[in-house]
Amino acid sequence: MLLAQASTSLLPVDLYATLPFWPLLGAIFTGIMIALRLKAERAFWPVVLGVGVSAVLGVILFFDLPGMLPHKADAGVTGHVAEAAHEYHDPGFTHTIYNWISLGDENSLKHDQWISVNFYFDGLTGIMIAFVTVVSLMVMIYSIGYMRDHHGHPERGYERFFAFMGIFVFSMAMLVFAGNFVLLYLGWELVGLCSYLLIGFYYKKPSAAAAAKKAFIVNRIGDFGFALGIFALYMFIRPLTHSGENPLDYAVVFHYIGELSQGKITLVALLLLCGALGKSAQFPLYVWLPDAMEGPSPVSALIHAATMVTAGIYMIARCGPIFAASQTALNVIVVLGVIGAMLAATMAMAQYDMKRILAYSTISQLAYMFVALGCSTPASGVFHVFTHAFFKALLFLCAGSIMLQMGHIIDLRRFSGLRNILPHTKRLMLIGCLSLAGFPLLAGFWSKDEIVHASFVYHPIVGALMLITAGMTAYYTFRMYFLCFHGPLRLPKEAGDHPRESPPVMIAPLYVLALGAIVAGYVGVTFTMLMGDSFLGFLKPHGYFHHYLHASTVVGGEQHGGGLWLMYVSSAIAIAGIWLAWVRYGDAPVEDPDKAALGGLWRLWNAKYYLDELYDRLFVRPLRGLGRFFFATDNNGIDGLIWVVTAVPRAMGGGLRLLQNGALQGYALGMVIGLTVIVLLWRWLEINGA
Amino acid sequence: MLVAYLLVGAALFALGLIGFVTRRNLIIMFLCTELMFQGIVVNLVAFGRYPLDGNPTLDGQVFSLFLLAVAAAEAALGLALVVLLYRYKGTLDASVWKLLKDV
Amino acid sequence: MPSVLLIILLTLGGVGLYLAMPGGRLHIGRAGLILLAGAGAALVAAVLPLSGEYGQRIWFALLALIGLIGALRVITHRKPIYSALYFILVVIATAGLLILMQAEFLAAALLIIYAGAILVTYVFVIMLAQQSGGPPPYDRKAREPFAGVVTGFILLAVLTIRLARGDGQALSALTADPDAGLGGVVQVGTHLLTQYVVGIEITGVLLLAAMVGAIAIARRRAVADEGEVD
Repeated sequence: MLLAQASTSLLPVDLYATLPFWPLLGAIFTGIMIALRLKAERAFWPVVLGVGVSAVLGVILFFDLPGMLPHKADAGVTGHVAEAAHEYHDPGFTHTIYNWISLGDENSLKHDQWISVNFYFDGLTGIMIAFVTVVSLMVMIYSIGYMRDHHGHPERGYERFFAFMGIFVFSMAMLVFAGNFVLLYLGWELVGLCSYLLIGFYYKKPSAAAAAKKAFIVNRIGDFGFALGIFALYMFIRPLTHSGENPLDYAVVFHYIGELSQGKITLVALLLLCGALGKSAQFPLYVWLPDAMEGPSPVSALIHAATMVTAGIYMIARCGPIFAASQTALNVIVVLGVIGAMLAATMAMAQYDMKRILAYSTISQLAYMFVALGCSTPASGVFHVFTHAFFKALLFLCAGSIMLQMGHIIDLRRFSGLRNILPHTKRLMLIGCLSLAGFPLLAGFWSKDEIVHASFVYHPIVGALMLITAGMTAYYTFRMYFLCFHGPLRLPKEAGDHPRESPPVMIAPLYVLALGAIVAGYVGVTFTMLMGDSFLGFLKPHGYFHHYLHASTVVGGEQHGGGLWLMYVSSAIAIAGIWLAWVRYGDAPVEDPDKAALGGLWRLWNAKYYLDELYDRLFVRPLRGLGRFFFATDNNGIDGLIWVVTAVPRAMGGGLRLLQNGALQGYALGMVIGLTVIVLLWRWLEINGA
Repeated sequence: MLVAYLLVGAALFALGLIGFVTRRNLIIMFLCTELMFQGIVVNLVAFGRYPLDGNPTLDGQVFSLFLLAVAAAEAALGLALVVLLYRYKGTLDASVWKLLKDV
Repeated sequence: MPSVLLIILLTLGGVGLYLAMPGGRLHIGRAGLILLAGAGAALVAAVLPLSGEYGQRIWFALLALIGLIGALRVITHRKPIYSALYFILVVIATAGLLILMQAEFLAAALLIIYAGAILVTYVFVIMLAQQSGGPPPYDRKAREPFAGVVTGFILLAVLTIRLARGDGQALSALTADPDAGLGGVVQVGTHLLTQYVVGIEITGVLLLAAMVGAIAIARRRAVADEGEVD
């Protein structure tokens, strides 16, 4: 496009623009294989290759992007956009593929306006696309081994799984690349569809089908608000634009957003937030995510932990100029984030299903990111998205590995002491748990710490709550870990006689992810020799990652430096949480000590605060009642009316039917009578007529 | 003379009609159709013999000959059907055949 | 001729026919027949043309009366075999009427085909379907005789009154050439094989089709069980 400086980019932009389509191509190939009924054994090849190409392109793009962006001295670091609206500088560039929907007519002044298929490139795009494609590729490779039965044969729907996953990666890449809100919405809905299809992958299982429906419907509620937000944007922005400016392109929207009144910006921000709440499973729309664990584990890892659920965070970060201009919206985000983080963390402490614990943990971590967004430090939120993707995908895939070897049993009460049976999984899981718990120097530690910092600056109470939640995170994570790997060896009978470690095709990608879970944080810190200004004397938060994000639409307040004591406090809290879990669950007791100790509170957490039941009472049942009412109205009222209308011909028919007695002579007599009547009529006309 | 013949033809036709409608025996019903044919034959020949323009033609007679052929064909088929129906139900009662009636 | 008279006569005939119908509610058989015969004779007398040759008029009256009485008996007799025989009487009377109209060939053909061929078939079928004992119930009781008779006679009355009225009288005055010489076999044959030769061919096809159809129907194996009717 105009601003692209092709000379400085390694590969042509058009080649990068093909990135989303390789997995789609793979999915189509797999679809053809399904149609031709080829053997499922090799069905993964097209999709894995497609995602592989995407991942290579994504990583190259990540490193190539800074050179491609228009260089501006202070692009993106404008403090309050509302003040600086008139001097907004587009930090990225828009690459138009083709014009899609025309918005102007020939005669109007604004005739050259389109909803285009265009991609937007800036720092945020680069980060998102890099980790999305890499994590996707790892999960894909893992799935090759995971989606099989214990004989190593592909399970039913193997090829369907890979086709859906391919479509998902395409959709997610489209979502990230989208250069305008309509395309963003398209990707948004497509990932929702893939999520629905993959949660309901075992569609013969009623709980899976119900979970898929629940996810879809809850997301609809959020997406309704999201769509309204886009409509509102169009309504507000279009009058301000000139010919040649597409009113829903990011660059145009962010350019003009400052000219809107505060009320309008807040309205738009809150409506967009609705969509983010649904997609990122935040309070009060989080209820679908735990149920979504009915899907296969790689789906949980990729879609419901690493990528799709972060779309809400991505969207809010992408719309930085909008949200930054509305403090009300930011406050709402913080409140919802804190509630979500606490709620999910407490619920996670009283669950036994490993994948559900991880799901609540995901909700909790996503809530952290929300808090970061709300505290005007979206860069920290995106950083946490980045690191979280690695260790949460790792954890889910480890859980999947355990599940596969335990014969699809994931209940922590059914097994323990697996450390010798699954040595690799144990090691990898430990890395993931430490990272999630915020153990110092691992990826999770750096990003989470930044959020805690930001929340302390926002308000000390919020900061304190975040710290408590961090402690709970460490506690429930290691409760799960100890219950699984420590204590005496117990196996469920479904596991068979000789459970063994998962095949290399599953373990190898886990090591890649584990590497990410360890080192991903270091892209966000700076090495320094200044003792008084750094953690442990040589590491200083705020590193390459944040510089990278400067050239993006992620805008927020100034970075919160200082307060190094917080890093030590949060390290201590994480370690304390782990230690507490060791004391209570170190030998994997059969009787849950917390259950006895906490009593009613534990039961409340175990029952998830009865929120599902509450929603059922408040929304589902009244709506179902309303549905029944409408159904009854339709059935009795409208159908009844139609019945009355039809009763007339029916009665006439019933009367006339008596004449049809079936006897030959009855008909003959009828004919004779008719003939007589006609002749009489003729006679009468002859007399009276002419 | 024309009217007299026409009246006789009409009377024969009407009687055949009445018989067809009222008699329940299939054979007699067929016989009644033949009776109606007789009325028509008288009618046609009378029209040919006493035409309104005063020039007698043979058309009425020729038409009647064709009518005889049709009557013969009808009798052959109709009686075959009657026999078949009689074999099915063992009766010549026309009112036992009510397949058209909606039950 | 006043239509009032015709209406009275036709009403009488209708009542008589109703009474004579088998199984009528007021069945009085013979009395009905006498009533009918009287009404028929009066009717024939009433419509008897005023013009024409004297002998021809007598023959016409006689033949018309025979034909009508025969027709009455065809539809009122309880035994089909007698109906068939009375039908032969009707055919003979009709043939006589045709001869009066100088259609000699047609009269002969009518006798040969009807009395000779068709009626024999009827008699065969009647014999085939004969049941022991008296007439079966369906022969003893007519179906809706009142409605049928009333409808039929209304139709007849309309036609009769229409024909007997005004211009009808004028029509009856029309008399053709007493000896048109049209009904001979030569004339009919020539006419048939020149002007109507296509009709002849089609009639041949029709008769062939009827024959094939009759054979096909007659060869069908009837199933004793009435439930298997198809």
